[in-house]
Amino acid sequence: MRDYWLSKLFFDLQSSPALGDEYRASRKKILDRYPLKPEVRTAVERDDVAFLASRVNPYLLRFYFVVAGMSEADFLKKVRTAGADAAARSSHG
Amino acid sequence: MAKLAGVFASSHAPLIIRGWKDVKPANQRELTSSLTELGRRIKAAKPDVLIEIAPDHWVNFFINNLPSICVGMGEEHEGPAEPWMKDCPFKKITGHPKLANHILQTALERDFEPSVSHHLTLDHGFCIPLWRGGLDPLPPIVPIIINDLEPPYPSVRRCLQWGTMLAEAVRTYPEDIRVALLATGGLSHSIGEPTMGEIDEPFDRECIRHFEKGDERPLIDFLNERLPTIGNGAAEIRNWVAAHGAAGKRGFELIGYCNCPEVYVGCGFASWDVAARA
Repeated sequence: MRDYWLSKLFFDLQSSPALGDEYRASRKKILDRYPLKPEVRTAVERDDVAFLASRVNPYLLRFYFVVAGMSEADFLKKVRTAGADAAARSSHG
Repeated sequence: MAKLAGVFASSHAPLIIRGWKDVKPANQRELTSSLTELGRRIKAAKPDVLIEIAPDHWVNFFINNLPSICVGMGEEHEGPAEPWMKDCPFKKITGHPKLANHILQTALERDFEPSVSHHLTLDHGFCIPLWRGGLDPLPPIVPIIINDLEPPYPSVRRCLQWGTMLAEAVRTYPEDIRVALLATGGLSHSIGEPTMGEIDEPFDRECIRHFEKGDERPLIDFLNERLPTIGNGAAEIRNWVAAHGAAGKRGFELIGYCNCPEVYVGCGFASWDVAARA
């Protein structure tokens, strides 16, 4: 399933370089404009790639972390770990 | 009547632009060679209009309104919006409303109900092959977006039929013009997924073999079975399938294939010999 407002946040950020600048300056100010569920907002604040990956389109996920300033190496590491964690959870029923 | 003067396909990996300096010299040479040859073949077809099929990378559409297929019938379209495409020479791209409208009418008569846009932004998926293929100046373009990005996707079978319909629309267009078709995307790649960066060359090679053989059923069965099992970017092969349909399912010729980890994509470039059509 897609989380609509999380997806909208990521979409808006990749659509507007100015909004991206604002976001990097103050995440809180931008996040306050979106009716994110508390657990979703916490995941955004913590850069919890695994949690977010199950709720948005993968291209938007990738775009978002470029805008948010995460290095490519760090993103690759986290998204691959997210996959391994999901596989482990799945194998344990 | 119009003539289908050529059918082509190309990958459009963003890192060909924004990560080019990190691409190994041998891969740079291979990609440059394939894109140059692709551009040469398109120019040799002397198209008065180019129909271009590409996905939309969250530039025109979002999940509040996500068409499976959208035909651009505007007089003009915007060039790419991505900041890293700022050096792309195509800032405004001329459309061809009359051919686009004829495609839409033909589609409706053939039981397709595509979405319509009078002003699209043509992102890197449209513009990298045009730019790196040296197609400047551009012919007028009829852009067609197929949703290859966000499930549910249009079926492979339907994309083949869409291509067949496009060829009919060109053949029945009542002006004596030459029309080429370029489909972009694929081959195997994975973006934003745990498998990001993985290229499945055996899949790509088998896919190419199916296009070379041309037969409809094995191609559809292969893609239906394998696309759900590999990286999300391979969904864009639907655009190649539409091109295959437009070419009459025969005449495929590989221009080049480059398994290029530096750009995360198994890059393929191809043309169809439309003279081989029955």
